[in-house]
Amino acid sequence: MTTEILDAVLPGAIAAAPFDPRVEGQRLMKDWYTGLTMARERGQHVANVFVMGNAIEILRTFDFQFVFPEINSLQTGVRKASEEYIRLSEDYGMSPDVCSYVKADVGLILKEQQHPAGLIPKADIAIASNMCSTFIKWAEIWERLLKTPTFVLDLPGQRGANWQARPGDAQHAADSRWVEAQFRDLIQKCEKITGKRFNMDRLAEVEERVNKMIFHWNNVMALNRVCPAPFNAMLDGLTYIGIMNVYRGTSEGVEYMRKLEEQLRAKVARGEGRVVEERFRLLFSGTPCYVSMRRLVELFETWGGVFAYSDYLTFASGGMDAGELVYDTSRPLESLAEITALAAQRGLSNQFFAHERLAQQIRDYDVDGIVFHGVKSCRFVSSGMADTRDYLNKRLKVPSLYIESDLIDPRYWSDAQIKNRVDAFFETLHQRGGAAPLAAKTVAAAAGSPA
Amino acid sequence: MLYVAGLDIGSTYTKAIVLNAQREVVGTAVRRTGFKLAQAAEAAFEELLKNSGLERSLITYVAATGYGRYTVPFRNTQVTELTAHARAAVHLFPDTRTILDVGGQDIKAIKIDAEGRVKAFRLNDKCAAGTGAFLEKTARYLGLTTDDLGPYALRATKPVQISSVCAVFAESEVINHLSNGIPAEDIVMGAMVALGGRAIQLMRRVGIEPGYMLTGGMTRNAAMINALELSLKAKLNVAPNGLGQLNGAYGAALLGLRRVEKLLAEGKPIPPTAAQQEPGETATVRRWSTKTLTTKRVEPCRASGECPVAMKPVQKPLEAVA
Repeated sequence: MTTEILDAVLPGAIAAAPFDPRVEGQRLMKDWYTGLTMARERGQHVANVFVMGNAIEILRTFDFQFVFPEINSLQTGVRKASEEYIRLSEDYGMSPDVCSYVKADVGLILKEQQHPAGLIPKADIAIASNMCSTFIKWAEIWERLLKTPTFVLDLPGQRGANWQARPGDAQHAADSRWVEAQFRDLIQKCEKITGKRFNMDRLAEVEERVNKMIFHWNNVMALNRVCPAPFNAMLDGLTYIGIMNVYRGTSEGVEYMRKLEEQLRAKVARGEGRVVEERFRLLFSGTPCYVSMRRLVELFETWGGVFAYSDYLTFASGGMDAGELVYDTSRPLESLAEITALAAQRGLSNQFFAHERLAQQIRDYDVDGIVFHGVKSCRFVSSGMADTRDYLNKRLKVPSLYIESDLIDPRYWSDAQIKNRVDAFFETLHQRGGAAPLAAKTVAAAAGSPA
Repeated sequence: MLYVAGLDIGSTYTKAIVLNAQREVVGTAVRRTGFKLAQAAEAAFEELLKNSGLERSLITYVAATGYGRYTVPFRNTQVTELTAHARAAVHLFPDTRTILDVGGQDIKAIKIDAEGRVKAFRLNDKCAAGTGAFLEKTARYLGLTTDDLGPYALRATKPVQISSVCAVFAESEVINHLSNGIPAEDIVMGAMVALGGRAIQLMRRVGIEPGYMLTGGMTRNAAMINALELSLKAKLNVAPNGLGQLNGAYGAALLGLRRVEKLLAEGKPIPPTAAQQEPGETATVRRWSTKTLTTKRVEPCRASGECPVAMKPVQKPLEAVA
């Protein structure tokens, strides 16, 4: 099934049009917010979904408009408005230790859904899952403050250290049946809310588009294995991942990813990197600090350091992080359940085995060092970083840097401290020595053209 | 005659040192940083010139370090204090492998190799616990100056436990001890023991290796050195003649001197100071990542659609579910 479809959409056949991924990405995000503001007027139904474990494929078949509360919150950070929202929720009684995404969202509720990007409609249903324990408590807040009906998906996770579900084995089959039963339940709920009958063919169409998007997405990330890296995983990558989530399973999403891949391939063929002189290739582990991400990247890029890869781009791209996760569109619902079960199990276990995963990514992307970003208001994503760091330093001799701030709370960003750490890190990397870089021409020749 | 100055603009004190071509200390200056970093740097530099009896024009090269390193307009280069401390450490004590630098606002553990290159470093979290600020506050609660602290603590007979190393919360603990009639010297020593414990924890986190050196303003405090050596159960190298506090500036000057010697040997001109540079122009360091050179060229995605990321559908279809 899918491989033929994938072959058919390979880039190259269509003439390259001027495409700026950043501008186009911003336009798509703006369109999405406009769509949300208009949703009620247009009589559309709205669903709140998280980026992981969200069954968005099913909801798309019912023409829901999607609110991504995590993206709303991070957008308040990007637009430098998060502090106002966070303070509102803290005045309301939330502890400074609570996830700042949650607090910004509670602030949004207290501001009558007025977001810097527009009015956010109240949802007809909220899908939560156990992919993050905070999701469930967050959904409870909507239930109480907005009376939003909640549907919580229970996705099986890691059972033990040496345990792994593999596609096709008995345990995975059982897990998939468990997830599928919940999906059938969800379908009934959606039918009731929208008054529409579920259409299996439409699910297959959505899945086909997701398959295409994932295919391009994996290629986009793989293109950054080339030196110099054509994009910065923690700046450009964040725009790409926004489209991956918001436009998942749509033709706009497929088109964006296709053009993106095409553009990056051309960049690689020309030997063009994200920065003029790429001196250091780095890996970013952890979640971004959206309020100061541009500043952080600037601190690294002035030293010629580019984030060739970030594990954030896999775990926040909707859960389908490995290439083998391809929907079988001949069995749409079963395949959705199988892959959701598998992706959930991997997503829930990657915190425990981060060192193995990162060691592989260090080799794949040939990085000089790794940067860990600890998040003050989410200790879960920051847990184990010290151990992982220790392992990578001692076993692989990979230099690392640990910096700490927050997802979107600007009060945790200390510029002088972070700059000092970044400068010292690069001085350490410099001291490891090396000769002059290859000329751009040599790099281009070595990278090869996709002819 | 060649003179190179090192300036360390720290959060609390600004330190300056000038070395001659033989790496001998010609003069030093230390003054409080205050709120205006550029002015503090200028004043410290003036004082340095006065103390060393040198004209400004005789200084060939200025290397700045510390939090305020970018605020020195007459600097020729800047380095972080971590690199600077490492350089000075191996120069003074070649056996040094782990440096503990206790400054006014932060505390650093630096692991170095025999050539004085930084292998790893750890800095304190966003918290003043374990920094000089903690002791400064303790001194203030007790009506003492920071210079009094050392001699005072040496008189302690039974140091009390200060369980909270939070610089702010420690106040209530100090007041509580005072109201219980505990002598100030025991409280001061207790604070130092608490700080020492925190500092050594940081050294362990960086991967402690024998050959320890203490740097920063804390080297002025003999009691603190005792407390640290006691918890560490080993001797700490401390630079002589008050150089411990100047270690960062000293390292910056040494790095600057090495740079100047290299430039002179290659017949290259001394780079202009930051103030003389065109806006936007930055002096580049021509050293590169070894990794970039050895990077294997990955041919990521051929037109055939092959990709390093394997793309294959689920192999074994599951039995149909009713």
